Amino acid sequence: MAASGSRAAGGVGLRALARLDAAFNALYTWRFNPLYHSGALVVACFGVLLATGAYLLLFYRIGAPHESVAAIDAQWWGGRWIRGMHRYASALAVVAAVLHGFRMFAQRRTWGPRALAWVSGGVLLGILFVCGWTGYVMAWDVHGQVLAAEGARILDALPVFSEPLGRAFTGEAPLPDAFFFMNLFAHIAAPVGIALFLWVHVSRLARVQLLPPKRLLWGAVGCLAIAAVAWPPPLGSKADLLKLPSVVPADWVYGFWLPATRTMAAGWVWVAGGSIVAAALLVPFLTKPRAEKAPSPSWVNPRHCTGCEQCFQDCPYEAISMVERDDGRDGLVGWVDTAKCVSCGVCAGSCAPMGVGPDGRTGRDQLARTQEFLAEARPGPSDVVIVGCMHGAAGSVGALEPLGPLGPAGVDGPAGSAASAAVPEARIFPVGCVGSLHTSVIEYLVRAGAGGVLVATCPPRDCRSREGVKWFDERVHNGREAELQERVDRRRIDVVYAGAGEARVLRDRVARFWSSVRAMDAARAERQFEVGAECEAEGAAS
Amino acid sequence: MTARRAGAALVAIALTGGVAWLSRAPMDFGADDPIVRLSWRVAGVPVEACRTRTDEELATLPVHMRSPRECTRALAPFALDVAVDGRPVVRDTLFPKGMRGDRPVQVLRDLSAEAGVVALSVRFEAVLAEDAEPPGGIPTGYAWSGEINLASGDVALLTLDGAGEHLVMRRQQAP
Repeated sequence: MAASGSRAAGGVGLRALARLDAAFNALYTWRFNPLYHSGALVVACFGVLLATGAYLLLFYRIGAPHESVAAIDAQWWGGRWIRGMHRYASALAVVAAVLHGFRMFAQRRTWGPRALAWVSGGVLLGILFVCGWTGYVMAWDVHGQVLAAEGARILDALPVFSEPLGRAFTGEAPLPDAFFFMNLFAHIAAPVGIALFLWVHVSRLARVQLLPPKRLLWGAVGCLAIAAVAWPPPLGSKADLLKLPSVVPADWVYGFWLPATRTMAAGWVWVAGGSIVAAALLVPFLTKPRAEKAPSPSWVNPRHCTGCEQCFQDCPYEAISMVERDDGRDGLVGWVDTAKCVSCGVCAGSCAPMGVGPDGRTGRDQLARTQEFLAEARPGPSDVVIVGCMHGAAGSVGALEPLGPLGPAGVDGPAGSAASAAVPEARIFPVGCVGSLHTSVIEYLVRAGAGGVLVATCPPRDCRSREGVKWFDERVHNGREAELQERVDRRRIDVVYAGAGEARVLRDRVARFWSSVRAMDAARAERQFEVGAECEAEGAAS
Repeated sequence: MTARRAGAALVAIALTGGVAWLSRAPMDFGADDPIVRLSWRVAGVPVEACRTRTDEELATLPVHMRSPRECTRALAPFALDVAVDGRPVVRDTLFPKGMRGDRPVQVLRDLSAEAGVVALSVRFEAVLAEDAEPPGGIPTGYAWSGEINLASGDVALLTLDGAGEHLVMRRQQAP
């Protein structure tokens, strides 16, 4: 029940995400779409927080917290906007982190080997909250007072303090400097925890890109600076423990829960918070497919493995290592650590002799499927075959936006419509990720007589396999191992990046590509060829 | 600058503005009613209960532990009674904290009140057995009563004085 609810929520989220991604791609292009870089934006904000925090620390005094922050605010030439950037970056970090987590949840990148990243991401968000919480208490304005008193009230529900922490905030006595020292210590120590868990968070990824592209990075920093200068954050009046706060400027990102918890008994706050944490921890279990539906991890067939190390280099999750052979042959052989393998299949596309990949998705399996597809679809010299990633526009054809003449497995468009007259049938050859696509499939389709092959991929920054689109591009255009052979007519191949919400982009590209295919000489199908055997021979030779 | 770039810049600024607004928007903590805050701690009143061991009991003990009297020491609980305008609002028994009940008795309560003049009466007394003899010099009861004028958002803090002998009312200093 819970698992099906989780799946339904993920489906709704995925559709919403697809539409948002498409809108942002139209504005920022896929290269600089901030939604694709939400995780890296958190790290960028972390950098801004460290830099601005170091400056603020120069002027902060634990003996006079509010007064010193007010003095910083009085520096119109620096302190005020640096504090503004510090505050707005902390809010943006949480917003970006939540978006990043939502994307991973909706795309079901939460279970199996990815569970470590999911759980450590949750811990990171928790530490970020603690860091923000202590930051607001540091300023010791009314908002900080509310956060401190509420935090103490909630902690006092735990039967571990013989002296209630809340008594520090009753107004019996001025708060000691030691309190602000400990708070400052926690505020500075938390980033150390963030760095540690960030390392854990990305520990199962190869070639981690911690920062967004430069243009997006500096754009985000510039926007924060503009907001900080044009609209510096207010500093509330000094905390007064003998006066109840009424309406105060507050940070809803870090304090959204305050209106709810202030009316709840502290015990119920723990129950509610514990339930949310438990639900988050259960996500890897709830989103995990049933055993019969779970994609199998990759494996290496030592008979075909030449020890070239390409799969080892291409694996985005560092799940493949090279080990000594034990079959009497010299050299190394690939070995897949199934505990790390997410079954993305990128290794299948990287192996020229087709010796590695998940069950049913190796290069050989792909060629067999291509053969079946050709027998059924019989694409002609003026037809376009769309080799489409099912996570992208090709997978959502008809779901998000009517595609006119396009449809899976050659579903015709509206009979007699102008669109169907302009663009003939385009048949979709579905793949899980183009990163797992063996280039011999493209060669096979072209040499079998298809007028053109349009590879429809997710935008590279949104590849479920992280680097699938990157490696695919390298194999087609830059001769990376398992490359598309020179003999294949490049004019008959095109690549389009279209996310799940960008069916229109796909449709327009098909129409354009089909026009260019029609302008060429008719493709000639080769009568006798065996792509699999040729690839195997070439792989062995290399 | 193309229309797309202008749109992208506008959206970026609008989104940043949205985040900035979230970071500074007013939050209503609903401090319309004043409160009376009771906050103090007392070390507690130690109470010793002793009895004489029987000969049989003594015989079972090692020679060096054969003390004829067996005594247990504990801290007495306190009864808290609060009345506002003559109406009882709190009647509770507070026990010493700690696993063994040997830590101070803590009082920390926020009582909501209505703005205006309020007659407050607080009694905080150790609950002792009739024959118990608390050690001298340790207060076994505290009380405070009087009228307080509360304005919206006020915190009237009832706490112990510096010597820990009397309850005193503390209010916000006039600016």
